[in-house]
Amino acid sequence: MSSRSPAAAASVAASFPPRRRPLGRRLRRASVPYGLLLPASAVIAAVLAYPLYYLVRLSFQHYGLFQLVRHKGEAIGTANYAQIFHDSLFWHTLLRTVAVTAVCVVLTVLFATLIALLLAELSSWVRLLLTAGLIFVWATPVVVAISIWSWMIDFEFGVANWTLTKLGVGNFNHHDWLANPWSGWGVIISLIVWGAIPFVAITLFAGLTQVSSELLEAAAIDGAGRWRAFRDITLPLLKPIYVIVISLSIIWDFQVFNQVWLITNTTPSPDYYVMAVYAYVTSFKISEYGLGSAIAVVMVAIMALISVFYIRQMVKLGDVE
Amino acid sequence: MKSRIIAAVALAAALSVVVSTASGGNKSAGKSSATSITVWLMTDAQNGWPTAVANATSQFQAQHPGVNVNVQYQSWDSVLQKFDASIAASDTPDVIELGNTQTAKYMAAGAFQAIKPKNYPNSSTWLAGLKQSCSYGGHTYCVPYYAGARAVIYRKDLYRSVGFKSAPKTYSQFMTIGKKLMKKYGSNPNFSALYEPGQNWYVAMSYVADYGGQIAVNKGGKWQGVLNSPQAIKALTAFKSMTLSFSRASKTNDEAHPYPSVPFAKGRAAAFIGNGWEWPYVFNPKGGAAPASFAKKMGAYPMPSHIVGRYMPTFLGGSDIGIPVQSKNKSLAADWVKAFTGTASETLIAKAGNIANSTKLLGVNAKNPALAPFARAAKYSWFVPAAPNWVNVENANILKTMCSAIVTNRASIKSATNKADSQITKILNAKS
Repeated sequence: MSSRSPAAAASVAASFPPRRRPLGRRLRRASVPYGLLLPASAVIAAVLAYPLYYLVRLSFQHYGLFQLVRHKGEAIGTANYAQIFHDSLFWHTLLRTVAVTAVCVVLTVLFATLIALLLAELSSWVRLLLTAGLIFVWATPVVVAISIWSWMIDFEFGVANWTLTKLGVGNFNHHDWLANPWSGWGVIISLIVWGAIPFVAITLFAGLTQVSSELLEAAAIDGAGRWRAFRDITLPLLKPIYVIVISLSIIWDFQVFNQVWLITNTTPSPDYYVMAVYAYVTSFKISEYGLGSAIAVVMVAIMALISVFYIRQMVKLGDVE
Repeated sequence: MKSRIIAAVALAAALSVVVSTASGGNKSAGKSSATSITVWLMTDAQNGWPTAVANATSQFQAQHPGVNVNVQYQSWDSVLQKFDASIAASDTPDVIELGNTQTAKYMAAGAFQAIKPKNYPNSSTWLAGLKQSCSYGGHTYCVPYYAGARAVIYRKDLYRSVGFKSAPKTYSQFMTIGKKLMKKYGSNPNFSALYEPGQNWYVAMSYVADYGGQIAVNKGGKWQGVLNSPQAIKALTAFKSMTLSFSRASKTNDEAHPYPSVPFAKGRAAAFIGNGWEWPYVFNPKGGAAPASFAKKMGAYPMPSHIVGRYMPTFLGGSDIGIPVQSKNKSLAADWVKAFTGTASETLIAKAGNIANSTKLLGVNAKNPALAPFARAAKYSWFVPAAPNWVNVENANILKTMCSAIVTNRASIKSATNKADSQITKILNAKS
């Protein structure tokens, strides 16, 4: 975001005709945008850059409880990285994280699109009702939501087992959803997607309201079906919004932690490890802070790569206009 | 284009979220002013023997008028992580309780102030097991607090209803009772003859000890997980078959989620394996709130061994109290510890269902029929491997995961133990 602002400032400056002014005044004028950027840069440096620097430094140290008590790590070069790259648990976890992220993002965007399209079709009071429902889901603190889901899938008294048994789907009495990682992940992914839909759906709906109805009408007159109109008119117009919500969803889902950690009662088995959980367990449960940092650095690097891709997309979109 | 504005707003919202997650931190622990000391105790004290804590504090304040004692209760799930955070911030509590399997790592790391036992009450009669968990490299770093042994807490009336007037003396009797109970009451899908959560590794490892197995052994300075030994596999096979036949507890939760006293108090379990303090906890509102009439129906017995005439070894659990090396009020802290581990407080702790820290106080519960079986159970006991890194095996949930995998049939006993062994070997040998 910060990289866009100087460019914007420059384009403002460029729109004035080039007239020579005294040097002092020119310097003062030129320094104003940078001065305005200072407070934000200072905040970003304090809350992001320094912790990131510290994280990277820690990842090159042996830093356990012994070192923690003395506040002094032991430099060991790239040994932490060598260890994680030779650890099959790390690769399994990375693969699982990517797969979970992909499934969550696809499901989130798919359902959110359907809901947004539905919202556009509804009468205003039903739309209000549905929006209120979405907002409630969005407003539920994640910890509370996870507790509620835990109750619902409780193996003994959960409403999920009760309902499925009553509906005759099978005998779900004492069915433990977390015993099998596949069904456990089914629950966790549903929970993540459920929590992620409102933001995406409401954002997409906001975008839909900006799609001019004349365009759609014109398409209909030309004989385009609803799917064709959606694919060739709505979708291209909403592309900037899709780029943003997809990139956000990837960032959120890639670092998912709470849902996994709390629904497994803070004792996840390795089948439930995602990158964030793995880094957390390594750092804070086993007190291998250096090793945990190395895992976190890899995670940050992957996220940075994803971000670069999407920022480029955003810039490209800007150029077209 | 409006959609770009919407996208920009969404991006701004997102960045604020990223920043806020990146800056999440831990709250600091205690104050350093000499008018107050901070004490971290486990919630067990809050639930089971708050009077002992109050007694220690009033005794301490008689000695140091005006010094406030700020007791903060911690949960086993998160205490170490919070303690580590407080160490990182140089803002530790002045006094902290740790489990006897947790102390080694912290003593090895130099997190505790060394103490002189002779300055502490009853130190000449401290329980040997606990005293050992406070010693490292020839020094003493903590004070024994209390010990606990597990026994079977059961419903006499239900046992009687299937023809057993007294507690089982042998393992085969124990199994027969269980089968009869399941036959008679098992049609209720929530009934357990023995409520045994799938992650309760203390019970699984008691079986292992009973069959002559071990968790890990030290060979020439190198630790090695040995849960795949024939003895351990035999033991875990017996554990699995018992759990699957008698228990309808969750197979993916441990013995604190929920406390077994809860289903027991609600009449859904004929028995569970618990600590002495869990007997009175059955009547606690948080522990299940059993009606008073339950008292007459309850009994306890040491879990019988598969070897006739013996008990199954019980985990000799317990807690110690230490003074973190970063505490700024060490002498005040020491005085509070002396008050809390002295005869008066320890007597109250023992009466709540525990084994006091001193052999001098073993007589406190001798005449209490509810607690005597726990003392008898302690005759055969086992403890975790004496490796400084042991607690990391607990923290990484290796044994809980293994037990869960076994009772849910997710893995064969052989593959589950092989996996656990390699992880245990790796963790115990890690450089600290």
